Amino acid sequence: MSAGAEPPANPEPALTTVGPATGLADSAGLRATVFGTPPADMAPLPKTVPLTEIDISLPWAMPVPAVFWFDRRLRVWFSAQDKPAPLAIVIAGTGSDGNSAKLATLRAALYGAGYHVLTLPSPTFPGFIVSASSTGVVGDLRQDSLDLYAAMQQIIAHLPRRVRITDIDVLGYSLGGANAAMVKSIDATQGKLKIHRAVMINPPVSLFTSIARLDRLFAISIGPGDAAIEALYRKLYAELANLYRASDTLQVDENFLFSAAGAVLKTDTEFSEAIALTFRLDLINVFFAGDLYARTGVVVDPNHPPKVGDSLEDTARILRSKPFSEYFSRVFVPYYLKHRANSTGKSLIADSRLEIIGDVLRTNPDYYVQTNSDDLILDKPELAWLEDTFGTRIVVYDHGGHLGNLGDRSQIADMLDMLAGRWKGHAP
Amino acid sequence: MLAAMAAITLGGCASPSLSIRSLPPETPEADVGAAAENAATLAAAIQSEDSGGHAPAAAGPPLTAAEAPSMRTYDPWERLNRFTYRFNARFDEAIFLPVANGYRRLPSPLRAGVHNFFGNLTEVDSIINYVLQVRLQAGVRSLGRFLINSTFGIGGLIDVAAKLKLPDAPTGFSATLSTWGMHPGPYLVIPLIGPSTLRDGIGLAGDFGAAYAVNVVNLYRGNKTWYLGVVNGVDERANVDFRYYATGSPFEYETIRFLYVRKRLIEDEGLRRKSRPKKAGTGAPAGE
Repeated sequence: MSAGAEPPANPEPALTTVGPATGLADSAGLRATVFGTPPADMAPLPKTVPLTEIDISLPWAMPVPAVFWFDRRLRVWFSAQDKPAPLAIVIAGTGSDGNSAKLATLRAALYGAGYHVLTLPSPTFPGFIVSASSTGVVGDLRQDSLDLYAAMQQIIAHLPRRVRITDIDVLGYSLGGANAAMVKSIDATQGKLKIHRAVMINPPVSLFTSIARLDRLFAISIGPGDAAIEALYRKLYAELANLYRASDTLQVDENFLFSAAGAVLKTDTEFSEAIALTFRLDLINVFFAGDLYARTGVVVDPNHPPKVGDSLEDTARILRSKPFSEYFSRVFVPYYLKHRANSTGKSLIADSRLEIIGDVLRTNPDYYVQTNSDDLILDKPELAWLEDTFGTRIVVYDHGGHLGNLGDRSQIADMLDMLAGRWKGHAP
Repeated sequence: MLAAMAAITLGGCASPSLSIRSLPPETPEADVGAAAENAATLAAAIQSEDSGGHAPAAAGPPLTAAEAPSMRTYDPWERLNRFTYRFNARFDEAIFLPVANGYRRLPSPLRAGVHNFFGNLTEVDSIINYVLQVRLQAGVRSLGRFLINSTFGIGGLIDVAAKLKLPDAPTGFSATLSTWGMHPGPYLVIPLIGPSTLRDGIGLAGDFGAAYAVNVVNLYRGNKTWYLGVVNGVDERANVDFRYYATGSPFEYETIRFLYVRKRLIEDEGLRRKSRPKKAGTGAPAGE
């Protein structure tokens, strides 16, 4: 293991951000981000939703590294209507698989509204990186979306014959929102799917700026290095153990943790810790896979990659104390400098901004945005850019933080209006 | 057995380029309703007093952060455990989960009956172990549940006792060993069953042994025991919402090991009558 090697003397710019590390989020925004939509505020959802699971191998996938033996095929989920219907393709957010709780909520709402629903993992989900990425080094908005687009074509071509599709729309939340817009814009040139509308839910405007902000949130709330993570773990462990001793709960299970979360997570710092840690753990796989595929040797020795059965505990420990900016500077940038002619660190940061399709987003009436005025992955100029670019095709809710209102009545109703072309602008 | 395990583990990776599996339908409306109910009752429950879950008024002052176990986990049999974990993952994917998903399509009253039936049988084990833990009140409750459900509940098919405010509170030999101060010991992945520890494994053997010894209505001897065991296993699996490698992550073994052992250690905190393990907080791997 070549961990701990000095960062290469890299002339590329570091990822920096200005303003608060919590972006636009206030205390209520952080709380909503952590706890999500209260069940009482959820939109009505259907009684039952049929579900199939599709595992598909994609011809352009790269050789599967030994430690990823279980990720050979891309796994997606599909719910079919009995009659001809439009297809809604939904893309998950950073690190999530194609059947996350948030996707399940959107699936239910869309199915209830009469759509066939296909849910896909984020291109940053390890299963996608291994089975569907053509680079293994994810984070480039266009390249990842090209891979998604190609995967969509393969999946749709292999759907059962009885499924009759009348129209295709794409949606996504968080990073998946940016992917959805990008996929539609790619389709506008390639024309393979004829995607009609795209709805972006809480999208980032600049992928790497949002990530750098979350890195900073981690450094501020949890602190640098593995010792800070260990301290957070000890604190949480003691709090949970004491809560458990005081309760009459039988088992430390999902229900206990759910109720304990309300008691353990109370302050802004604690919300920030939870958000930053969740995000960091999601990205460990991206870092690991990228380093393995790009042979950059940050934590994986390219000449002696880990084998099935090897312990990866030390690797995980090193990775969890590394900020994502280090993935950017030591894996992503070196890889793309080699593989994309005329690119620089600066151009790669610029390539991860929605502005690369800004003209289309501004002029094409079929792109929509739903976001919140207290979303932590945005800052003021970014929200202003979204409002200016989308005009009447954006709705900005007062409250919800990042995805903390996904599934609530107005979010779902507006989303369905947008998809169906009924959206007339947000009544103030 | 070992040969079959090796065959599945090493050879079970040939996969067609496409497979489409139909899953049991989702029930979003009911799920949201249940979440709302849970949120309300659990917020209240976490404040309320002990009603038999674990030993009331666990001794000692609150646990401090310094006393929390290490983030590392005691896993001296890691090679074998990883092998078993992979075997379990492949077995689950190929056989166990598809069967459990088929079972989940049966009408829910039927499944509830099966689940209650097996749950009722484990009351015998709970009674024995509550006695061994010197928690007679909880033992009497389990006895009451067993008598009520076996009679009014038609041989255990209906959990009448729960409706009479005597909810299920099972315990077993592992909890008894923990009560008397035994540490979880090395992490252990048991074939077909999954994450465990040495102590939990011994406890499980104790639970099976007790069932065999007591042999309620002669269910635990002879051929039918195997059929019952299979149905019990499928029912258990159908009630566990876990999918191997749903994380997609190469660190899944580490993650599950970490979570499982912390879960058990926290549960021990509720059971332990005397002192904590001396090693806690000294940096020794958790569980040792």
